[in-house]
Amino acid sequence: MTKIIVPIGPQHPLLKEPVSFQLTVEGEHVTESAMRLGYVHRGIERLCQERTYVQNIHLLERICGICSHVHTTTFCQGVEALLGVKLPSRALYLRALLCELERIHSHLLWLGVLALNIGFDTIFMYAWRDREVVLDIMEDLSGGRVSHAVNIVGGVRFDLTDDRRVTLLRQLNGLEEQVRILLGVVEHEQTLQARTRNVGRLSLEQIRRYCVVGPVARASGLDVDLRRDMPRPPYDGLTFQVPVRQEGDVWARTLVRMLETVESVHLCRQMLDLLPPGPVSTRVSRRVPAGEVVSRTEAPRGEVVYYIRSDGSDKPARVKVRTPTLTNLITLPSQLENVNMADVSVVLSGVDLCIACADR
Amino acid sequence: MNRLLRQLHLFEEIFSAFQAAFPDDPLTVQAMPIDETFVTLAPEHIHEACEILVERFDFYHLSTITGLDTGAAVELFYHFWNAYGITLRTALPYTALRIATLTDFIPGAAFYERELYTMLGVVFEGHVNLQPLLQPDDWDGSHPLRKT
Amino acid sequence: MNIEVALRELLHPIVRWARRKSPWVLHYNSGGCNGCDIEILDTLTPRYDVERLGILKEASPRHADILLCTGPVTRQSRDRLRLIYDQMPEPKWVAAVGSCCCSGGVFQGAYNVLGGVDHVVPVDMYIPGCPCRPEAIIDGLARLLELIQ
Repeated sequence: MTKIIVPIGPQHPLLKEPVSFQLTVEGEHVTESAMRLGYVHRGIERLCQERTYVQNIHLLERICGICSHVHTTTFCQGVEALLGVKLPSRALYLRALLCELERIHSHLLWLGVLALNIGFDTIFMYAWRDREVVLDIMEDLSGGRVSHAVNIVGGVRFDLTDDRRVTLLRQLNGLEEQVRILLGVVEHEQTLQARTRNVGRLSLEQIRRYCVVGPVARASGLDVDLRRDMPRPPYDGLTFQVPVRQEGDVWARTLVRMLETVESVHLCRQMLDLLPPGPVSTRVSRRVPAGEVVSRTEAPRGEVVYYIRSDGSDKPARVKVRTPTLTNLITLPSQLENVNMADVSVVLSGVDLCIACADR
Repeated sequence: MNRLLRQLHLFEEIFSAFQAAFPDDPLTVQAMPIDETFVTLAPEHIHEACEILVERFDFYHLSTITGLDTGAAVELFYHFWNAYGITLRTALPYTALRIATLTDFIPGAAFYERELYTMLGVVFEGHVNLQPLLQPDDWDGSHPLRKT
Repeated sequence: MNIEVALRELLHPIVRWARRKSPWVLHYNSGGCNGCDIEILDTLTPRYDVERLGILKEASPRHADILLCTGPVTRQSRDRLRLIYDQMPEPKWVAAVGSCCCSGGVFQGAYNVLGGVDHVVPVDMYIPGCPCRPEAIIDGLARLLELIQ
């Protein structure tokens, strides 16, 4: 049978971001795949060395528009560790509140994009309509729908009044109802399951060897979540489940993400109920003492790692960012082996690509 | 407290294993934020040290490999995590920017090594596909993160 | 010959009216963080719903009237962007959505970034914002359509 190379990207209706895949196709089956990154490579790590820590918060937030808060959280967490400051509890709770809201918005966004790519436009519209509630909440708290700019080195720059807190709890109730409807669709809808079951399967052994992170790893049986396994405030005082499935296919990943969304709503509620009083930031010096730090957090797509080295000035000597999508991309060739052309869209959506994060 | 005791116990075992495997290596150990332990090794010992971490102590998760040009050498950091974080640090002189690849037992290291090859010019011996990762088609061959 | 010219003169305002009433857009991200892209996708969702204004998001450059660009142009994206622009049939317009697209935004000075999209293609409408709100995108598109008149 003749081999044909089908290019996907950089401009393609499936892809929201430019990345190039070359799929070698024999008949209807993909036999090989190659990918080319670098369309969104902006050289952020080098830019970080030329700007101060404060300017870098603004820059690092724009590595990715979907998981922007988690990048600045990891960065500020690292710089605060270098400075040796201890944040007030209220600041940690508010930071984590926005982290969980971002997780909800990211998973709903992803569900919509997956539905769009498999032809289920209704769920795209429903998921993104429900996502608007989360964006409204984030805008009310921080002033921005997508870019929040709430993290400063030393805390957060917004606060929550008590009646705003009560309104938020009510909005979360409404959101939970909608998320449970979407969860029901994923669990019971036959067409969605027919498209996503048994596609893009990864075994636990492959997950461990490729060092995969996030919901993709949890869908294949790896029970790791940095919020629970690196116990730090406020998560060490909150109760939540970490959903883990064993099937390892795209349906398992969808289910894990939707269950995580429900858990995130519960976490937001707990954080609002237990919000401690006090200041929301502490003063820190502009110059960071010389040192090195490795900072990790659990982003919606998995583990985000920052390595920061400071040389005593107000500019970092090195900021290294490793985002979860770069790690998960390496599994794509084995996922795309022997799939039908029609299933390629499902496989690519299942990994939750955020190429802006991967390329930096 | 339990967690701290478990961590201390585990790291005692790891350091003994390293000392037994590399008796001539000074092996400096530092505690770093956030909850991370740095071990400095010579470049030729990194491959075996990583094998010990992965096979004997189940540190299967390699978070990433960081590279940094200090002006005097290129430092590499191998960040591992399994409930606790441990980083192996090594320094490569500019005249010998080569080190053994980890992809023979950690396939997940492939992209990190390719990125270091692009950004700093470090050659990972034994890597099956050491191509540039993020550079454009008209890349002139310069390494963006090198100081010199 | 006269009849042909007369027919063309008659049809021209109708065609122009049709183009203004239902522009088909193509969205291309030439290196951005994705913030503006998700706000562009947001305009399709029930709250903003640009489809009721006749704007349809197309998949192929050959079907599109307006190119909605986001992100600063990276060195790798430059040629692809030019290719996409060249593949669009005349008449075509370009709207630069977001601060990065207008001027390079926060990434100015990066070694792999050329700057705004006007380094590569001629821009008809600049819509600033970081990221650009859906209301601003719709307003920008509406003004562009007025310009087309």
